[in-house]
Amino acid sequence: MGLVEIATGKVLSSFSVFLFLTILLLVVARRISTSVLLFSVQSAIIAAEVFATGFRERLAEAYVVGALILVIKVVAIPRAFFSLVHHLKTSHDVNASTTPTQSVFIAATMIYLAYAAVHSYGQSVHVPEDALAAAVALILTGAFLMVSRNKALMQMLGLLVLENGIFLAALTTTFGMPLVIEIGVFFDILIGLLLMGIFTFRIRDTFDHLDVSKLRRLRG
Amino acid sequence: MKVAINVLQALALILGAPLVRGVVARFKAFLQRRQGASIWRPYSDLAKLFRKEDLVPPTASGVFRVVPFVLFGTTICVAAFVPLVQPSALLASGGDFFLFVYLLAMGRFFLSLGGFDGGSAFGGMGASREALVSSLAEAPFLLSLVAVAILASHADIAGMVAWTLQQNIFNISAVHILAFTSLAMVVIAETGRMPVDNPTTHLELTMIHEGMVLEYSGPSLAWIEWASAVKLHAMLALLVALFVPWGMASSVSVGAIGLALLLYCAKATLLMVLLAVIESGMAKLRMYLVPDFLGVASAVSALAVIFTTLVKR
Repeated sequence: MGLVEIATGKVLSSFSVFLFLTILLLVVARRISTSVLLFSVQSAIIAAEVFATGFRERLAEAYVVGALILVIKVVAIPRAFFSLVHHLKTSHDVNASTTPTQSVFIAATMIYLAYAAVHSYGQSVHVPEDALAAAVALILTGAFLMVSRNKALMQMLGLLVLENGIFLAALTTTFGMPLVIEIGVFFDILIGLLLMGIFTFRIRDTFDHLDVSKLRRLRG
Repeated sequence: MKVAINVLQALALILGAPLVRGVVARFKAFLQRRQGASIWRPYSDLAKLFRKEDLVPPTASGVFRVVPFVLFGTTICVAAFVPLVQPSALLASGGDFFLFVYLLAMGRFFLSLGGFDGGSAFGGMGASREALVSSLAEAPFLLSLVAVAILASHADIAGMVAWTLQQNIFNISAVHILAFTSLAMVVIAETGRMPVDNPTTHLELTMIHEGMVLEYSGPSLAWIEWASAVKLHAMLALLVALFVPWGMASSVSVGAIGLALLLYCAKATLLMVLLAVIESGMAKLRMYLVPDFLGVASAVSALAVIFTTLVKR
């Protein structure tokens, strides 16, 4: 057995643990830049997972998808976020409405719920349970980040984490979607990010802040 | 023969402890682009303190005098629990990891008593903060050890290490990664290192450990400082023994023991570099944020315990 095979097996078996660690760190992160960096790391782990799956299942398309993740999610989107934070001239705080301890307990509960949810499914269809649980936990965490952070930028980041989870679920159950659809999804993300970026500028210009908890009334 | 090695490794843990401090300080100095003191400096500090006169505040009671000895005694007992070069320890059959945790707690309790008894405002403040930090650190400390103990089906530390030695180095499980993360955070909080307490500060409103020992001088201070160095070394050795024990001597021969000792030094040095990087790279947390830091450690360790059911299934 070659070194590459061992490395592949290691990536496949241990990456979900590192994803859980990024989830726990993501919910306690107090600065936007830390959260963005963690998202980048998370995407890199998923890219490694895509490469490993591609190697094991002999799928050439997977390498293209993995490269796309590396370019778009690991490099491009975090850079866009950093420039957005820079141009918005807003504070670096994520304005969490839960304390870090509450957040981390909620995240731990969500991880356990994810395991409970995929347990019966994982046994009947023979998919790796850890990976599927990580996917569900990522989806839940993304949603949790979106509802519990008041800074408008964190809604975008929550959506991206949620999308990571959906991507991972597709990867673990069906070895990924067809390449055309993947490219379409990436295009969607980029356009969505662009629109949300424009929206944050509009929110900032109209209300002079980015706190979504204060957006209660319509304003002309 | 085995017993002799156990005695020797406990002695190495205790006598090598000031060196660990010196090395960490040297790495920190290197990272901050300072010259730094020699790594043997803590030994000469201790020697100097042992030669000095012991001053006791006139308001202090007898507790103040016995604290250094109780602290040093409990700490060397703790050191005798930790395997270094072979998967057994001097007190391995004498107790399980609960005794390990609560011997440390007993030392801390007496040190806080000494802090109060000294009569200075800083002592009481440091002692009450130490009580807060240690009560919050107790849960993650115990839970992360419990997680590893459940996997190994052994309650004594030497048994846990022996079990880990038999595993494949590539078969690290989620439990080990989570338990290591939380235990590393606990080590930082327990030994008073940077994000929780600043070990180099004096006479500031933020100090915890230094506040408690402020009234001590001479040999008493030397015993306390030595004990806290042993504590740091024992905790680092515990991290090495529980999570990366591979390379420990399985048979009693000079070659195997020597190799194990060399490997231990390499692994411990890596941990010390990590500690120095964390200490230089992070700012000290505000006191109000320390419970959050340890809350995260608690959640991670609770998750580690939950994951044992998934791994063992």
